[in-house]
Amino acid sequence: MNKTSGKYFDGISSRPQDIELQLDEINAELRFGIYLNTTNRWPLENISFEHIGDSLEIRCKSNLLALIKVIDDNFAEEFISILKAKGHISWYQRIIRLGIKIHLAIAALILGAIIAGYLLFIPWVGEKAVLLIPVHYDISMGQTFYKQYVDNNSIDNKKTKYLNLFAAKLQLRNTQKLHFTVIDSPTVNAFSLPDGHIIVFTGLINLMKDYDELAGLIGHEVSHVNNRHSMKMLCRNLSGYLFISAVLSDVNGIMAVIGDNVHNLQNLSYSRQFEQQADEQGTQILILNGINPKGMTDLFTRLQSSEKVVVPAFISSHPITTDRIVYIKKLIAHSPHQYVYNPTLNELFNKLKN
Amino acid sequence: MEIENEIENEKKIPDLKKYKLSFHGQGKAYFGILIVNWLLTIVTLGFYYPWAKARNLQFLYGSTALENDRFTFHGTGKEMFVGFIKTIVIFGIIYGILMLFIYLEMPVLGITIFYFLFIAILPVAIHGSYRYRFSRTSWRGIRFGYRGDRNELFLGFFKWIFFTIITLGIYGSWMEMKLRGYLLSNVRAGNVEFKYKGVGSEYFVLNLKGYLLTLITLGIYSFWWYKDLFAYYVENLSMHKAGQQIKLKSIATGGDFFKMIMLNLLIVIFTLGLGYAWAITRTMNFMTSKIKLEGDMDLDTILQTEDDYNDATGDDMTGLLDINFII
Repeated sequence: MNKTSGKYFDGISSRPQDIELQLDEINAELRFGIYLNTTNRWPLENISFEHIGDSLEIRCKSNLLALIKVIDDNFAEEFISILKAKGHISWYQRIIRLGIKIHLAIAALILGAIIAGYLLFIPWVGEKAVLLIPVHYDISMGQTFYKQYVDNNSIDNKKTKYLNLFAAKLQLRNTQKLHFTVIDSPTVNAFSLPDGHIIVFTGLINLMKDYDELAGLIGHEVSHVNNRHSMKMLCRNLSGYLFISAVLSDVNGIMAVIGDNVHNLQNLSYSRQFEQQADEQGTQILILNGINPKGMTDLFTRLQSSEKVVVPAFISSHPITTDRIVYIKKLIAHSPHQYVYNPTLNELFNKLKN
Repeated sequence: MEIENEIENEKKIPDLKKYKLSFHGQGKAYFGILIVNWLLTIVTLGFYYPWAKARNLQFLYGSTALENDRFTFHGTGKEMFVGFIKTIVIFGIIYGILMLFIYLEMPVLGITIFYFLFIAILPVAIHGSYRYRFSRTSWRGIRFGYRGDRNELFLGFFKWIFFTIITLGIYGSWMEMKLRGYLLSNVRAGNVEFKYKGVGSEYFVLNLKGYLLTLITLGIYSFWWYKDLFAYYVENLSMHKAGQQIKLKSIATGGDFFKMIMLNLLIVIFTLGLGYAWAITRTMNFMTSKIKLEGDMDLDTILQTEDDYNDATGDDMTGLLDINFII
């Protein structure tokens, strides 16, 4: 029956004492004799146990240091099932004893919930957070960056003046005051800051052949400003980062690092969404101003021919140029439009080029 | 006559025994514990953390055995939760003082006080952590204990930090050995006393050599540096009881460390972090199997001597400060 032998440590010395113990289901107690004549009784309701590998260690709440050690799988199984039947096993031990398959399922469930939360919740939080942040915060952030940037680069004052005049002729649906700056540099690039500063490099202007391409570029960059893309990016970035570190850093360092990298890749995809939005709205701005929307695709064709390295779409922040050209062409085909030659814009564009 | 001869023999040639240190925790069992901890921590928005920590320690201590008898960690989530709350209050006060001085437009004074308090809290936290963690550890029903004096550690700590700062960090090796020596030499397991005899000069040379060779070999030597550090920590530790002792020896090689660390890294990376449980159980297995214990101590006659101590504040503070527990 429920009898076995084991070792008893009395919590006074480390000397192991050989004991015979008996599990009495009816009286709900564990009985064991020390020195053959004294019988100790541990009520099952006061018992705690640990079952690691083949060894079962039993303790009683009345003296937490004393312990019984049993190495007997049959006894351990019976002991645990009786405790279970009498309801003396905690919910925690029940979960722990569910086994590796259930634990793997729990892990998969948590990971799934994290991914779902991340993909659905974070962009939403990002969007909502932007509404809470006042625009003047965008402005001061942009100004700080602009100051630093301009200090380290040379401005072409004449061309800056012409570019501002050029932009002033366009209806840009802008919500903020716009400031255009031309930087004297062979780099083929342009970017916008959240405060409405738009920076264009001479390297890009020199590449353009027609004023409608420049108008396309302006339309694109202004759309970034109008939609507060920088701030949205920052909010998504931060909230995603906080989320990832909150749920993963307690697990382990490597998981947190993996999470961070996945997050960075995801940010690139956010940024591609923003680029596409800017392409769409930039094209609409061209149409609104009676400028040939083909300027947008021409701009990208030129950018494409100047690109030396082809970066795959999933790691580049701008959607791959060919994809963008195809997308904008489709967009133009679906939007009714008319355009006329604009001599003023053409003149300003030529001045900019020289 | 025969009995006398036996006693004579024993005195002449102390009978050196080997003691077995082993780890019995399985990766899949630990995985279950970590996953349930993770689930409950998320569900309770982090409040489960102290309980999770207790479960974690209970498993790791409970899976480590000396002479096939397991260690036990008796600490509970409740104790750690109280410590956790106290820790948050203490850090809140320290940050509050900093904010107050910034508000009063005395940021330099504020930051000075802030750093001073931060350094002052370290020895207090370490002391508390040792007292709690050891008093909650037992083997064969015999409680461990830490008998260091808080004020003595506090003064020593400030002295060592001061020397480390004025020597631009060079004294750091001496500081680390003095700290380790003070802490471990005050550890008891019943009437067994621990001793640590590592010295700063040896430790400094070991680190200097390890650092330079690691640089020259582009990191490859680091595994041999680990080996040396591990051996230095282990082999300077010994246990004593009434003239009997146990000495520790490391048999790990640099190649062993290379194999263990690289495999663990691969396991964790290719399972996207879920294999962490296996990496830890493998590490524990490695450590316990590479430490050899030898001596003439009778482990059946250790007596209970240490008191109960249930304040986990120090343990939670060291946890929050991310200080690893030595041993």
